[in-house]
Amino acid sequence: MTAYVDGAAVPLEAAAAEAARLLEGARLPLVAGLQTDVAGTRAAILLAERLRGAYDHAASDALLRDVGVLRQAGRMVTTANDVRIRADLVLLIGPRLTRLWPDLADRLALGAPPRLAAEQTARKIFWLGGEPGAAAAIGATEIAASAEQLPQAVAALRAAVAGRKSRLGGALAKNIAELAGHLHAAHFGAFVWSAETLDALTIEALTGLVFDLNLKTRFTNLAFGPAQNAVGVLQTSGWMTGFPIRTGFGRGYPEHDTWRFDANRLVDAGEADAALWISAYGASAPGWRRKVPFVALAAPGTSFPYPPKVSIEIGAPGQDHDAIEWSREITTFTVTPAKAASAAPSVADAVGLISEHLKGNEAC
Amino acid sequence: MLIRLAGGRVVDPANGRDGIGDVWIRDSRIIEAPVGETPDEVFDVSGKIVMAGAIDIHSHIAGGNVNTARLLLPENHRAHVARPAETPLSTAGWSTFETGCRYAAMGFTTVIEPAVPTHYALHSHLELADVPIIDKGILTVVGEDDFLLTLLREGGNRSAIADYLASALAQTKGLGIKSINPGGSVAFANNARTFDLDDTVPFYGVTSRQLTQALQQGVMDIGIAHPLHLHTNNLGVAGNVDTALRTLQAADGKPLHLAHLQFYAYGKEGKRGFSSGAAQLADAVNKTPNVTIDVGQVMFRQTVTVSCDVVRQYGSIGMAKPRKSVIFEGETVSAGVVPYLYKADNYYNAVQWAAGLELFLLITNPGQVFFTTDHPNGAPYTTYPELFALIMSRDLRNKWLADVPKEALEQTTLPSIEREYSFSEIATMTRVAPAKLLGLMDRGHLTPGALADVAIYDDDPADRARAFRHAHLVFKDGDLVVRDGKVTHYRTGRALTAQPSYDSNIDRRLARYYDAAYGLSRDLFKVPEHTIGLDHAFEEVACQG
Ligand SMILES: [Zn+2]
Repeated sequence: MTAYVDGAAVPLEAAAAEAARLLEGARLPLVAGLQTDVAGTRAAILLAERLRGAYDHAASDALLRDVGVLRQAGRMVTTANDVRIRADLVLLIGPRLTRLWPDLADRLALGAPPRLAAEQTARKIFWLGGEPGAAAAIGATEIAASAEQLPQAVAALRAAVAGRKSRLGGALAKNIAELAGHLHAAHFGAFVWSAETLDALTIEALTGLVFDLNLKTRFTNLAFGPAQNAVGVLQTSGWMTGFPIRTGFGRGYPEHDTWRFDANRLVDAGEADAALWISAYGASAPGWRRKVPFVALAAPGTSFPYPPKVSIEIGAPGQDHDAIEWSREITTFTVTPAKAASAAPSVADAVGLISEHLKGNEAC
Repeated sequence: MLIRLAGGRVVDPANGRDGIGDVWIRDSRIIEAPVGETPDEVFDVSGKIVMAGAIDIHSHIAGGNVNTARLLLPENHRAHVARPAETPLSTAGWSTFETGCRYAAMGFTTVIEPAVPTHYALHSHLELADVPIIDKGILTVVGEDDFLLTLLREGGNRSAIADYLASALAQTKGLGIKSINPGGSVAFANNARTFDLDDTVPFYGVTSRQLTQALQQGVMDIGIAHPLHLHTNNLGVAGNVDTALRTLQAADGKPLHLAHLQFYAYGKEGKRGFSSGAAQLADAVNKTPNVTIDVGQVMFRQTVTVSCDVVRQYGSIGMAKPRKSVIFEGETVSAGVVPYLYKADNYYNAVQWAAGLELFLLITNPGQVFFTTDHPNGAPYTTYPELFALIMSRDLRNKWLADVPKEALEQTTLPSIEREYSFSEIATMTRVAPAKLLGLMDRGHLTPGALADVAIYDDDPADRARAFRHAHLVFKDGDLVVRDGKVTHYRTGRALTAQPSYDSNIDRRLARYYDAAYGLSRDLFKVPEHTIGLDHAFEEVACQG
């Protein structure tokens, strides 16, 4: 059995009917987690609109930190493949990058000269602010900077590139000055980072630094987002509503507000009175502190802080069913065929079933 | 289902028809008036204009760059009127859903997204699948990737280039081939800030002209209807009318489509060194019947430019309004998203606006000039109704002329032009010619057997724009989808593709190349035949052989 109401196994249809009852009875139903493939995202956003609810994603903090800087300052960005074939200088910035993306160095072929460079010389590779030893593991020159030093270090790098002085002192200042020299000498450089490990000010400084560098040479960013199709959810939200996640439909049209539609805030403030928690990629539970009745569409074995009203165990995208997902390897969407196709319902299937049980259901 | 559209003014230039009469629809097709059958439904359209559904050949409505623009500019679509949501997400400003609704409401039933890089086609198709009602197609962008440029450097084996193009169409499910400032993305990656027709693509020893001509020939060789769709060099630069004239010559008598020509209609006359060269350019187009063009009209309002001409987009960053831009690079082509505000009291913008209208009005054959704003680059497609009104009425133009700087008008011929488009010319430009250009044989006309895509407008000389914004009735595949300018329900559109056959040896070569260059399978970039989650089906358009 894969569906439960109040902890008791029930047929899938009965669970969907109970889920529909709970969600459409709510004043402000919330779709949260949203860890799913494109088909699941589409279904969930359409459901949120029908319910006049709101939706958010579990990785919103990192996603929206990145989008926040983007819509302040713009950006120059590229793909992993472009860095692989073109970049003669790669500067990684911030901690945990190879933990977030274990194949990063391989994917960028950091050990080989860039295929399309004028001269087939080894790449220059630096890692500013990585954890100790991480740089050496991928053949990069380590420029040590603690998490607290990193924003200053990036600001100092920007100043050094522009020929201005900064207040930074000590060994870091010397390393930064040398690094600025390497940046000036590069033909096509790439900064590699993730909004998961940088704060907004650092991201903004990097964005500005890349624009500055392009006045003379070529530089760009490889900014990779959270895994498990989080970027794909952001993109899908973009074309479906015009806005990123943290969008609500209470007024009959989408409104985006990073504070108002923060899932945890909506629950903790008592504004959301029912929720649909979606987590297809693995055991991931909501982090809100208040108890709101919720429906869980989650991977089998997920343990929740308190029991869901309705729970439907669903299959994993690209494992139990074919999926369209964002791939950071190719910096766009791709199809992931099922590794071991199963009968477990997908998020799209489950949301579809719930939608069919909504009252006033019309064929659209 | 048998439908009679009774007593309207039927404007169907493909059949030489412009007069009062009936149009009959059975299920999804136009039919001859049947004898002795009672229609299931009769629509009295007396006093209305009846045309085939319109076809937009060049409108950036879907894909990664468009989506970046959405995320970059939330302020552009924040305010929106609440309506009861009878159709999902139709109230979402700048969403794919809204795009389908607003196009359908204007009587457009087929729209082509003209800039899909080979590696991002799945994203574009995902978005297009969420554009309801209308049919769509994509043009696949080529010309910047190392594999093709290496082929050219090594002598440009003609059949290999043709196979490469056909394979790109298969991989992306494309309808046609486009190239954008050919070689420009490669030049930008190598630190160039300008790139001209006779500049050499760094490292490959071929000029932009040679690359363009190889692609033009390749597209002819694979036998698809649509000729190479070219966004040529030096877009937006004062004096670039010279580039456009040289590009017309470079076409060498062979078929070519030159995109958004308005952006190349600039001379260097006047105190400010910026004038309209549109009259000269229109004259040249009139003498170059092998080339078709679309206008890319500028209209005065806030918009955002979205283009794979990265040289141009990078160069525009300083003029961005609001001041934030995205430059996106990639292994096969690069792009830029730069917001821009066109203002009627701005000298340069006024010249651009006038130059576009001059092209519309001075190119004599309405089958050679296509109706576009290069959405959203010159203006959003939502300005089409005003633009129709402007080319149909000299009086209206004169009203607008009063609001733009006199100094700008002195650098154009617009004030002296008297021509007004007739409905028949409008139908040729937006129905007959696009269908022919794209090889959509059963569209653009109301011949029995044609697809029953029909748009019916009020005939209101006092407010043409209103009539074009809110069609009276629109049928898609014989299904009534718009009534009094409002979408009644969604239906799923199709994606039109051209899939010429080719020697699959090129796929094996490409597979080896992807392994070596990227360490990845080329299949990752493929738009599959039956993709889960895509709400559109693919409809293959016949090739010429
Ligand atoms: Zn365009």
